[in-house]
Amino acid sequence: MAAVATCGSVAASTGSAVATASKSNVTSFQRRGPRASVTNDSGPRLVSIAGTRPSVRNGQLLVSTGLPALDQLLGGGLAVGTVLLIEEDKYNIYSPLLFKYFLAEGIVNGHTLLVASAKEDPANILQELPAPLLDDKCKKEFDEDVYNHKTPESNIKMKIAWRYQLLPKMEQIGPVSSSRFGHYYDASKRMPQELIEASNWHGFFLPEKISSTLKVEPCSLTPGYTKLLQFIQNIIYEEGFDGSNPQKKQRNILRIGIQNLGSPLWGDDICCAENGGNSHSLTKFLYVLRGLLRTSLSACIITMPTHLIQNKAIIARVTTLSDVVVGLESFIGSERETNPLYKDYHGLIHIRQIPRLNNLICDESDVKDLAFKLKRKLFTIERLHLPPDLSDTVSRSSKMDLAESAKRLGPGCGMMAGGKKHLDF
Amino acid sequence: MLDSLLALGGLVLLRDSVEWEGRSLLKALVKKSALCGEQVHILGCEVSEEEFREGFDSDINNRLVYHDFFRDPLNWSKTEEAFPGGPLGALRAMCKRTDPVPVTIALDSLSWLLLRLPCTTLCQVLHAVSHQDSCPGDSSSVGKVSVLGLLHEELHGPGPVGALSSLAQTEVTLGGTMGQASAHILCRRPRQRPTDQTQWFSILPDFSLDLQEGPSVESQPYSDPHIPPVSKNAKVDPTTHLTFNLHLSKKEREARDSLILPFQFSSEKQQALLRPRPGQATSHIFYEPDAYDDLDQEDPDDDLDI
Repeated sequence: MAAVATCGSVAASTGSAVATASKSNVTSFQRRGPRASVTNDSGPRLVSIAGTRPSVRNGQLLVSTGLPALDQLLGGGLAVGTVLLIEEDKYNIYSPLLFKYFLAEGIVNGHTLLVASAKEDPANILQELPAPLLDDKCKKEFDEDVYNHKTPESNIKMKIAWRYQLLPKMEQIGPVSSSRFGHYYDASKRMPQELIEASNWHGFFLPEKISSTLKVEPCSLTPGYTKLLQFIQNIIYEEGFDGSNPQKKQRNILRIGIQNLGSPLWGDDICCAENGGNSHSLTKFLYVLRGLLRTSLSACIITMPTHLIQNKAIIARVTTLSDVVVGLESFIGSERETNPLYKDYHGLIHIRQIPRLNNLICDESDVKDLAFKLKRKLFTIERLHLPPDLSDTVSRSSKMDLAESAKRLGPGCGMMAGGKKHLDF
Repeated sequence: MLDSLLALGGLVLLRDSVEWEGRSLLKALVKKSALCGEQVHILGCEVSEEEFREGFDSDINNRLVYHDFFRDPLNWSKTEEAFPGGPLGALRAMCKRTDPVPVTIALDSLSWLLLRLPCTTLCQVLHAVSHQDSCPGDSSSVGKVSVLGLLHEELHGPGPVGALSSLAQTEVTLGGTMGQASAHILCRRPRQRPTDQTQWFSILPDFSLDLQEGPSVESQPYSDPHIPPVSKNAKVDPTTHLTFNLHLSKKEREARDSLILPFQFSSEKQQALLRPRPGQATSHIFYEPDAYDDLDQEDPDDDLDI
């Protein structure tokens, strides 16, 4: 106890020593930038860029992914300097939506965009971004949506379980009216043209950049990836996202979006062959990309068709090389579409990895079973609810179906449904 | 839907197998598009030109533009070909068209190309050819392009087939039962759910398509044909034969609503607690002290002066 007390007093004395030293201008610690006046010595100034906020856990600068529900699951948002990898669903219907939400959020916040694709022209991708919902309208839209799906019983004030009224609702994450961090988008409308034109964006369309087939040496990057890395590096350097142009008036975030990375259209054959010649190309690309991102004010979203990758070891390496990995599994075409467990949803969303940045633990949510639904205007992510397990009068085979599908659920949904055998009481 | 396959444009994969061959369907679709007045290019790699043209009458044969890569695939005879780059060069040259006429390109067969060319290059070229008309700016100048590719499923592993089907707009898988051929058509539109349909058909000797009502024509939201559907059991109503009453009549409901729950602190309860209890004087406790009881009348706290 005495040792702690002396440490405390030593710290206090050094603190006061620093304070007196800075007041008397003899310290060797020079603060970069204009000195604040002595009377309001408030500490280092926080970087305040539009559309970012510091994380409440570790002070990391976060940007929104465009979907406030996803931001909440990732612990507040996507950290600047990290990669968000989205594993595409089988028919590539829902992953372009997440991609577009990310880019639309960049336009609304005034960030610079870099869109790279081998399939579609980036200008066409930008034309199809969803329109943002403004604050006064979006509450009305939400109430409309929520009201349509509400059941009549929930309108009654709870009399017996009155404590549950105080709990926040997990299902609908309503609009946070006072924050400027995450925005809501209307998926049925397009972003207005003037917003797109007012934004600063760079496009990388692979067929335009590569005109001839070049000879590729073994163990090197595919030419498409090399060109893309050079392009990204040029933009970061020229526009000063890595601090190389100190005269920049206002710091900004660069949002990079790369679509369908790893598909054969990028010249990468990991989807075609199990042990191709360039099997390390994609992993090298991700490694170099992460290095570029960590040294600049940028955030990146990548969609990848991992269901086509033949070699499972590559998927594991890709997951390790990315920071946040989110997998989308849609129910189209699978037997789950007719399963009553999943009838309200369009697919499952798996948060496969969350990074530990300057931290010992990561900020994972305790909800592991999440499903998504694309309503007409909104893309919502909800907790997967099991239907009530009706007892003996329901026939055994449908109970077995539920048990089979409930086996895939995590422990959060209750252990009873997870077991294969049903205990009869 | 089989006859409107070419209306959508893009890459159409015809997946056939040893039991159900697809070349006759390919020829039927080629004949149909030639009769519609489209420009038809054929890249013949697997069978000879005479064999391909067999069965077509002369006006269709005159409309087909045939590029023969069967007789001399490696170009050893060094003749002046229209497309010196081989089949890949021919496809690349078709990327740079500027005609407003819709074009159908039939690849006979895509398997042949996939076995001899790197898969990534082939995917890139096919994507470039089939998506020429997708730019919104100058869509009026270039006509719609359909690329029909005949793919023999059994020759390739899941990798190349998966890569090609992710690029394809429409996928037709040939199958059938008991001598009746069927086509399972999966249509992927860019931002919509894929739709599928099974169509029974037969090809007549003059390569025209005859659509039939087979044993089962179903068109349902897409389900994988290899997995049997989940059988739905009849819903059993669990509320019958209960020993207690689950339903409330109106009077019972009113009585229930007016019931005050024990933890609710209402004004009546407050009054009841504050009022002195009327029954207090009537109850007494009678106690007979036992031999072992120590009744010390002295209160131990008496010497505390509080």
